[in-house]
Amino acid sequence: MEHRSFTSIRSEPRKVRWIWLVYLALYAVAIPWYWPDEYVGPIVLGFPLWVATTLLAILALAIWTTFVIHRFWLVDDEGDQADG
Amino acid sequence: MGEEQLVFGPGALIAVGLYLVSMIGVGYYARSKRQGNSMADFYLAGRSLGLTVLFLTLYATQYSGNTLFGYTGKTYRIGFEWTVSILFMFSIIVGYLLFAPRLVQLARKEGFITPGDYISYRFRSKALTLLSTVLMIYALCNYTLAQLKAMGAAVEGITNGAVPSAYGIVALAIIMVIYETLGGMRSVAWTDVIQGVVLLLGFALLVVIVPSQLGGGLDRVVEKLSAMDPPKVQVPDWQGINSWISYVFLLGCGAAIYPQAIQRLYASRSLAVLKRSLMWMSFMPLTTTLIAMVCGLTAIVVLPGLEQGETDQVLARILALIMAQSALGYWLVVVVFAAALAALMSTADSALLSISSMFTRDIYKPYIKQDSSEEHMTMVGKVFSWVAVAILVGVAIVTEKTLVRLLELKFEVLIQVVPCFFLGLYWKGLSRQTALAGMLAGLAVALGLTWSGNRLPWGFHAGVLGLFVNVAVCAVGTWLRPAALEKD
Repeated sequence: MEHRSFTSIRSEPRKVRWIWLVYLALYAVAIPWYWPDEYVGPIVLGFPLWVATTLLAILALAIWTTFVIHRFWLVDDEGDQADG
Repeated sequence: MGEEQLVFGPGALIAVGLYLVSMIGVGYYARSKRQGNSMADFYLAGRSLGLTVLFLTLYATQYSGNTLFGYTGKTYRIGFEWTVSILFMFSIIVGYLLFAPRLVQLARKEGFITPGDYISYRFRSKALTLLSTVLMIYALCNYTLAQLKAMGAAVEGITNGAVPSAYGIVALAIIMVIYETLGGMRSVAWTDVIQGVVLLLGFALLVVIVPSQLGGGLDRVVEKLSAMDPPKVQVPDWQGINSWISYVFLLGCGAAIYPQAIQRLYASRSLAVLKRSLMWMSFMPLTTTLIAMVCGLTAIVVLPGLEQGETDQVLARILALIMAQSALGYWLVVVVFAAALAALMSTADSALLSISSMFTRDIYKPYIKQDSSEEHMTMVGKVFSWVAVAILVGVAIVTEKTLVRLLELKFEVLIQVVPCFFLGLYWKGLSRQTALAGMLAGLAVALGLTWSGNRLPWGFHAGVLGLFVNVAVCAVGTWLRPAALEKD
């Protein structure tokens, strides 16, 4: 495969290392490994604290991903603007 | 509670019937809009999907019958530990970021139609392309099977066993294959628009009515659950945490290379459209998978003591309870039931279309009839869809595994194709021999562990451990014998 095929890609998320450090940090919060055994915690918005923390981390991951796609996935000709 | 039956009256039956017939109508309309008989037109809608259609077809395809029935059932069995389902459904988008920018670029330049087209182009290996295609077709057949099983569970659940699941499976499968063969991807994507909207509406209704009407609010549900079954509210133990990490890899990598998902990347009208669709998809686990989990939690409190085999029907059973409460509840349940059908059919039809394209393009043309015209291959694909549906319906009627178990078995093999995409697009030195050796080693580990009864060693899925071995073989092979040094 000729890697010249990709010359029109101006930026791709995989090549930007610090993007993945942020992902690593957010996943480390989303996966509930750091709570004490059998922990439940207070109820926050209807969920046990450890679940609410995970959900907030997933929301942060989604917002981060939107930013990454918008800012770091860039190609010379992206075609028309997105509409229906 | 729990004895109410979900029996639709004539009005509701007509509404659901019209909804199903409208799918065939969309199929006819899609057929009238075709641009020719080429495979790209039939299987990729002529690479013309705009934002609304692409987003809704991605959404309706990715959120399947498993999300509604399998995930509510799994939550019923393990409680809040299934919060992982929200994380792994999100992780699929991260998986795309690791390979889609290059694959999309290449697909536009080279005119790919199937994932096998890429593998064939990148590795120039018939063996690797064939093995990858067989694994992907196997995984998709399993996936379709899970949807068909869920159709049966839905029908049997809502009628409290009065209508056998086999009848529901056969009827819905026939409707699906009719509109699929009429209009191909155009038809599937447009029906996905209807199905996606109904699905979103259904989930919105579920989150409003289930915890409040049946459980007295989410706080009350969690309070009762804490008293009834504390482990279902507690943080997972170390094996559970390993299982979370494993699920993130299993789905984040595996579901990102679903052939039907890859074909939607190929089918987008432009990169701008694709990027916007994926941004929206990042948030969908929080509006969809989370709601399925909340319904499963409510079911633990409202319908305690169900046996393992009954748990995939908990959603249908709690809908029956809502339906019995009021006229409004009755019609809300009709919409949710339509959403359930939408989730099942939109996923199954997409998988079926992919199976048909891969069989035709990656097996029939190279191995059976090399001089086939595009028109002939499109026709063969349509015939194959009917044959595949007939076989899958037969298997769905006679098997009894729970829905989530079917899902996991599929990923254990599909995930072994991941290095061809995630590494193949970036590692120039990854040779065909190394990629094939990695795939075979990964499969040997995944299947060996599964068949020897070690499906989840230390909480990790056998397929994920197989993937680690697969990647290690690719890394060592690329380092010792890079492709550039081979005399091909």
